[in-house]
Amino acid sequence: MAVRSGQEAHTGPPPVVRATDVSKIYIRGSKRGRLSRLLGRSPAPRVTALDGASVTAHRGEIVGLSGPSGSGKSTLLHLLAGLELPTSGAVSIQNTPTSSLSERKRTRLRLESVGIVFQQFHLLPSLTARANVALPLVELGVSKRKRRRRATDLLERVGLEDRVTHRPGELSGGEQQRVAIARALVTDPALVIADEPTGELDTKTGQRVLSELTAVAEDRAVVLASHNDQTLAIADRVVCLRDGAVVDRYGGD
Amino acid sequence: MQFNVLGVAVAIALLVMVTGLGIGLATETTVYDDDIDYWIVPAGEGDRSPLVATGSPQFGDVHERNAEIAAIEGVDSTTPILTEVARIEHGSHSEFILVIGVIGSPGVDRVAGVDAQPLTADDPYYHGEDWTGEIVLSGGASSLLSASSGDSVTVSGNESFAVTAVDDGGGSMGEVPTALVQLSELQTLTGADGSDQADQFVVGTNDPAVAEELETVYESSSVLSRGELTASQTLDSDLPLALALTAFIISLVIGTLFVVTTTGLEIVADKTQLATMSAIGLSTRSQVTLTGVQTLSTTVLGGIVGSLLGLAGILAINEGIGRVLTVDSVALFHPLLGVYGVAVALIIGLLSLPYLFVMTRRVSGGVP
Repeated sequence: MAVRSGQEAHTGPPPVVRATDVSKIYIRGSKRGRLSRLLGRSPAPRVTALDGASVTAHRGEIVGLSGPSGSGKSTLLHLLAGLELPTSGAVSIQNTPTSSLSERKRTRLRLESVGIVFQQFHLLPSLTARANVALPLVELGVSKRKRRRRATDLLERVGLEDRVTHRPGELSGGEQQRVAIARALVTDPALVIADEPTGELDTKTGQRVLSELTAVAEDRAVVLASHNDQTLAIADRVVCLRDGAVVDRYGGD
Repeated sequence: MQFNVLGVAVAIALLVMVTGLGIGLATETTVYDDDIDYWIVPAGEGDRSPLVATGSPQFGDVHERNAEIAAIEGVDSTTPILTEVARIEHGSHSEFILVIGVIGSPGVDRVAGVDAQPLTADDPYYHGEDWTGEIVLSGGASSLLSASSGDSVTVSGNESFAVTAVDDGGGSMGEVPTALVQLSELQTLTGADGSDQADQFVVGTNDPAVAEELETVYESSSVLSRGELTASQTLDSDLPLALALTAFIISLVIGTLFVVTTTGLEIVADKTQLATMSAIGLSTRSQVTLTGVQTLSTTVLGGIVGSLLGLAGILAINEGIGRVLTVDSVALFHPLLGVYGVAVALIIGLLSLPYLFVMTRRVSGGVP
């Protein structure tokens, strides 16, 4: 693996997602504290989660985010997924700046362009595996028959054809994560975001999930965050974060 | 969700039981013969109960008119009814008893659940014959007075009555202590003999055509069939209406507060799920819709369970009271009460929705 290459050197089509010099500052404290601060009695306690980080991901590419806990990996992922807005800098998903969108439009953008795989799966416990996978298609107005077919196909693709009608509580951690991957792919998004996708899994199951993510990246961009070297090994490029700032990059041209 | 279903079910079950009890009480307070098909009551009669008829309009010349009614083709039996609550004394016992004056005849078998056959037919005292002093006691009255057949009793200070029979059989009046006497003799005791007065007529017939003729007996009267009287009393009686209305309002308020509180807490507890839905692209509108559907289905399910519990409760009440008081039924058991319960549950769900929508909007979004 090439180490410490320069910035992203893609010269082809524009990236699926681009974060340019993004910072994210959280203001902490109670409402009373906020009032006190407004009255100038105390300074605002600020936590800088990200400080001027930049990253891009192109179609067919897996970009890894590494760094210790509290380095800003998850915050950067949330910004790239459009779940949060940067305090400064800009994030564009398929050339659409997320800061220019209303909450409703950002949700729609996520529905159409972003698939998210969470460390703790976050499947809806009352729904079957197939219903969990098909849920985003309900929002898109896809017919029930097509939803069922598409969800079943994806569950077959991740090797869960015999778990279609099982609920999350009846599935192992690895199976749940594969259901989550199938859900992330159901709308055929251009970008897949994965936050510690193997964090809750044993080594063998984690390898299975990683091979699914590698397959997923063939025709879309994947950004995954992990502090596990084995997980990051599937990445084409890795961006290292520390204290909210990019401190190193390796891989790529 | 189970808590919501249970909470709504309890509120609806109580509503159904109280409403059934209210309607049941409203429809069981009429003095009637078990085989009677029509009542002739003074116009506007529906707004009072014969049990508390003091001062209400009455019919006059009832013996004469009773003979006219009996002559109508198709009429099997008829008697005027005069009711008074009177003090009856026997030995050291002194109780207020519902005393009903009737004209005995072969067709008039039971009045207010008490056998009228032991009374000499055709009210002899009215026709100038001797005072009979006959009195038939219900089981309850007999027990209160410790009087049995052949004992002498004093009715409203008149000592010339003797117990002709004691009827232990349960009837429509259940355990209400009741006594049957000759109509003219009760009129004499109460001063209603001057105009030969009574409160109502009960007429037994199998021919619906007689209703028209019955209406001509008195100008200001209403002829009601059993169903009409029940409906009339149910609608006109204020107490059961107040009871049912109170139960409705309390169920609505308690049910709504319960659903709002528990579902609100559930929404807060399910914040992660809502955030997940937002993350995967489900709009707030869809989440609100989901909350609405979930709330309505939960409350309707609670309504169905509650209605079934309420109807079962009515059966239990009737069974329990029947064993203790030998009454056929106190609370009304009708499938429509179940429909009513489900409808009220649906209203509870609808009333809860605005707050839950606001809660969902507030909690939705963010990072799971």
